[in-house]
Amino acid sequence: MLNRKSIIGSLLVLAIAGTATARAEETLRFATWDTDESLAIQQEIAKKFEEKHPGVKVQVEPYADGYDQKLIAAFGAGNPPDVMYMWNFPQYYTSLKPLDDLIAKDAAEIKPDDFPKGLMNTVRVEGKTYGMPSGFTTQVVFYNKDMFAKAGVEEPKDGWTWDDLRAKAAKFRDEPNKVYGFAVDAKPDPYDFEQFLWSNGTKYISDDGKKIDGYMNSDAAAQVLDMFGDMAKKQEAITLNLGDDTSGSTLFKGGKIAMFQSAMWSKSGIDASGIKYGVAPLPKFGDKTAHSALGVSAISIAKDAAHPDLAWEFVKFFSSPEAVVMRVNDLPVRTSVAEEKGMTKDPIYKPFFDILVTSNTETHAFLKNANWSKVQDNLARAIEATMIDQGNAKQHLDDAVARSKRLVK
Amino acid sequence: MRKTLLYSALILLSALFIAPFYWTFMTAIKSTAELYQFPPVFWPSEWHWENFAAAWNKQPFGTYLTNSLIVVVLSTIGQLISSSLVAYGFARFRFPGRDPLFILLLATMMIPWDVKMIPLYMEFNLLGWINTLKPLIVPAYFADAFFVFLLRQYIMTVPVEIDEAARMDGANAFDIYWRIHLPLMMPALVLVGTFHFMNAWNDYLGPLIFLNDQSKYTLTLGLSMFKGLHEVDVTSIAAITVILCLPPLALFFVAQRYIMDGAVGSSVKG
Amino acid sequence: MDMTYATAAAPTVAKRKRSAFARHIVAYLFISPWILGFLFFTLGPLVFSLTMSFYDWPVVGERTFVGLDNYRSMLFEDQQFWESLWITVKFAAIYVPFNIVMSFLLALMLHHIRFASGFFRTAFYLPSVISGVALVTIWSWIYSREYGLLNFMLSFVGIDGPNWLGDPNLAIIAIIIASLWGLGGTMLILLTGLKAIPKELYEAATVSGVPGWAQMVFITLPMLGPMLLFTFITSIISAFQQLTIALLLTKGGPLGSTYFFAMYIYDNAFKYFDMGYAAAGSWVMFIIVLLLSLGVMRWSAAWVYYEGEVRQNDGDGHA
Repeated sequence: MLNRKSIIGSLLVLAIAGTATARAEETLRFATWDTDESLAIQQEIAKKFEEKHPGVKVQVEPYADGYDQKLIAAFGAGNPPDVMYMWNFPQYYTSLKPLDDLIAKDAAEIKPDDFPKGLMNTVRVEGKTYGMPSGFTTQVVFYNKDMFAKAGVEEPKDGWTWDDLRAKAAKFRDEPNKVYGFAVDAKPDPYDFEQFLWSNGTKYISDDGKKIDGYMNSDAAAQVLDMFGDMAKKQEAITLNLGDDTSGSTLFKGGKIAMFQSAMWSKSGIDASGIKYGVAPLPKFGDKTAHSALGVSAISIAKDAAHPDLAWEFVKFFSSPEAVVMRVNDLPVRTSVAEEKGMTKDPIYKPFFDILVTSNTETHAFLKNANWSKVQDNLARAIEATMIDQGNAKQHLDDAVARSKRLVK
Repeated sequence: MRKTLLYSALILLSALFIAPFYWTFMTAIKSTAELYQFPPVFWPSEWHWENFAAAWNKQPFGTYLTNSLIVVVLSTIGQLISSSLVAYGFARFRFPGRDPLFILLLATMMIPWDVKMIPLYMEFNLLGWINTLKPLIVPAYFADAFFVFLLRQYIMTVPVEIDEAARMDGANAFDIYWRIHLPLMMPALVLVGTFHFMNAWNDYLGPLIFLNDQSKYTLTLGLSMFKGLHEVDVTSIAAITVILCLPPLALFFVAQRYIMDGAVGSSVKG
Repeated sequence: MDMTYATAAAPTVAKRKRSAFARHIVAYLFISPWILGFLFFTLGPLVFSLTMSFYDWPVVGERTFVGLDNYRSMLFEDQQFWESLWITVKFAAIYVPFNIVMSFLLALMLHHIRFASGFFRTAFYLPSVISGVALVTIWSWIYSREYGLLNFMLSFVGIDGPNWLGDPNLAIIAIIIASLWGLGGTMLILLTGLKAIPKELYEAATVSGVPGWAQMVFITLPMLGPMLLFTFITSIISAFQQLTIALLLTKGGPLGSTYFFAMYIYDNAFKYFDMGYAAAGSWVMFIIVLLLSLGVMRWSAAWVYYEGEVRQNDGDGHA
C-alpha cells in the first residue's frame, strides 16, 4: 500500500515539476511537419542558431501527420508557433507576416537573386511574400539499373517521351512474380499531378482563376488521364492507391517496379535500400516541353508571433547558405549552394535542376482560386474514376467540372 | 462433445483476432528484404530483435513513456473515482432534473471532437495549460459520460433491497456507495479502468493538439512520427506498436480475472 | 424522455422537514463532479461551436455572420452532405446489429467455459489494444489486391480475389469487417453483464424444468437488458463517429464510397478550413444521433428490466 502511494506521489511530483520548468531564456517556437532524418537536420540547424544567439532556445515542434490539425487549433485559439513550415499559403496567408519589407531591408545579406524565380512564386499570394523557401524538390523518374541490365532494356535518356517509357515498361511485366515496369497512382496529389497537364499544354484552371470548363476537362487533360488508365490496362504499370496503400517507393525498393516517378523525399529511403539506381527526367508528351510541379518547404512567421524580431533572424538563418547546405534530404534553394556542391552536374541530381528552367512559366492552381481545395477533391475523384475504368477520362472530367461549377465563379 | 465444439469454435475465432498481432510482431522482426516479398513471409528466416531497440532509440521514447505513464495513471484514478460517484448518483436517487440531466450527459458523448477542439484549446490556453499534461489529466476527474452510463447501467441491475437493508442498519448514502456499491461494482470498475487506460494510452488527438514540445510528447505521438508525409517507416511502426501493446495487455490479462470471475458479485447476491 | 421509470408522482408527504434542495443535496453532491466538468469543459465549447455554425468562419482571417446559410447550403446545395450521410446510415445499419449480436454470441461462449478463459478473453480483446496507425497498416496489408493475405489465401482455393478496398461496392463491406474486429470492448461489457446475473435464477429455472431456450428468453435477455441498451446506444454513436479506419484505410474512396459523414465534417474543418460549415455539420450529426438514441431509449422501455430501479417511495434518496 505504502509502495503504491509513493508511486502515485512521485507521479504527482513529476506532473507538477513538468509544468514548472523555468523560462529563464527566450523560447522561439518552430513548427515542422518533417520527421525522422529531415527532422534531425532541422534540429541541427536550430542548434546552430542557438549557438549564435546565446540565451535563445529554439523549441522544435514536430507535428508530423497532424500538422494541419494542430496548426488550425493553434491559430484558431490565437496561440500559433512563432515560425512554421508552410506550403499552403492561400489558406494561411491572412495570419502570416508579409516579409517583403524585411527582405528589402536585409537584401544584402539575403541575396534574393540567389533563389530560383519559380521557387519565390510559390511563396507569394496577391503580390506579397509570406515565406522564405528553405528546401524544395522537383519530380523525376527513378529507375533500377540492375533490373534494366538484366532485362536488356536501354536506360532512359534526356528528352525521352511517355511513349518511350511505356515501351520500356512493357518489357518488365512478370506476372507470377508480380513485377511491373512502372507504377501509376489512382490517388495522386493533384498538386503534383498538374505537371502532366502543363507538359501536355493545358492546366486545371484559367490564369484568372475563374474558368475550369475547357481547362480541367480539355482534350489534352483527358488524353493525360486516359494514357495512365491505358498503362494500367495494358499492365505496363501497377495501379497504386486503389485499395492498397503499398507505396511506390516500397515497391521500387523491393524490386517490384523498374521505374518510379517521385521526388527527393524518396531518395534517402532508396539509398538506404542499397539498390543501384539512376535518375531520369520526367518524360515529354511528344515534342512538348516537360514541366514539373515544385514542392517547396518554406518557412513563415505568424502575424502575431510572440518574438517577431527573433523569428525573422531565425527565418534568415534557416534560408542562409550555412543552413541550406545542411539540408541533404531535399534540394538547396540557393543556386550558389547547388553549384558549389556540384549538384547541377551530378547525374543523380542534374534532372532535378534541369527541369527548373520551365518552372517559372506556370502557377499552381491553388494560388489562383480560394475554393481550390474543394474543386480539387472533385478532380481527384475524376482521376480515380479514370483509373478504375482504365479510361473514359473525358466523361469523368466533365462530371468533375459540373460538380465544381458552384465553387468556381 | 458440446465443450469440444465450443472450444474448436473459440480457437478458430480467436485465431482471427490474434492474427493481426502476430503479423505486427513478424513485421517488426523481419529484415527489410523480407518485408515486401510475395508470397508473404509468414515465418522470417532471420529474427532481427535489434529492430525493437533501433526503433525505440530513434526518438526519446523513454521521455514519452514517462509522460504516458503520468497521464494514464493519474487520469485513470480520477476517472474511477468521479465516474462511480456520478453513476451512483444517477442510479440511486430521484431528484428534480435528474432525467433531463441524464440525457444531457448522454448527449455529451455525441459531440464530434472537431468542433470542440478550438474552444477547448482556447480555454486551456487561458488557464496556461497548453504544453503541459494537465489537459490530458484534469478532465478525467470530472467523470466521462460513457463510463457514467456504463456504471449506472450496472448499478441498476443490483436490487434496491440491498440498499434498503443497509439503510435500516443506519448506513448513510456515502456508506452505501463505499461499502456496498463499490465492491459490487468491482467488475464494472475494472472494465472502466481498462477502457480508460486504453483510451488514454492510445490517445493521439489530445496530445497532438495540447502538447508542443517533444519533451512533453506521449508514446502515441512518437509512434505517429514514424508516418511522415511521404514515407512510412513500417518496421519501426510495427516494433513500437508491439512494445506499446504489452503493458496494457499484461494489465488486461491480470484485470480480466477480477472482471469475470465474479468472486465479489455472487457472494453478495447469494 | 422520461427514462424507463414509472412516472409516479413524487411522494406527497415529506418524511422530514427539509427544503426540496436540501432534501436532494446528497444526490447533487454525488453527481457534482460531472456537473462541474460539464460547466468547465463542455458547455463553453458547445456554445462556441453553435455560434461558429452561424458564421463564415475560416480558421484564419475575417469572420462574417451568415445566419442559417451554412445549414441551408448544406441541406439544399451540397451533394456531398447527402452522399456522406447515406453512406454513414448504411454503415450504421449493418455495423450496429452485427456488433451487438456477434459480441453477445462471443460473450455467451466465453461465459460457458472455464479452462483457458483468460486466454480467450485477452485474445478477443487484442485488436482493441492496437492503436489506430498500426491497425490500418495491418488491414491494408490483408486487403491488398496484389500482395494481400486475403487474396493469397483465396488463391489456394482457386479464387482470383477481388480488389477489396479498390471496388466501390466492396470497400464499405471491408470497412465494416475491419470495424467489427474491434468488438472486444462490447463483448467485455456484455460478458460483465452476464456474470452479474445471479446463478440462482438459472438453478431455480432448471429445477422447474424450464428449457434452455426459454431461460435465454426469460432470464438472460431481460437481465442483460441494461447492458444491451448501453451497447446499443454507444454502438450507434461510434458508428456515426466512424472516422479513423476509413480516413487511414481508404481515404473515403474509391469514388467516395466510404466517405463517411464524420469525414465530411473533418474535411470541412481541416482540409477546407471552413470551421463554420464543419460546426453546422457537427450539429446536424449531433441532432440525428440524439434523436436515434432517444428513440432507442423509449423503445427500450419495452424490453429493459431494471432490477435496481428506484421505484416510487424509494425516490427521495437514502439519507
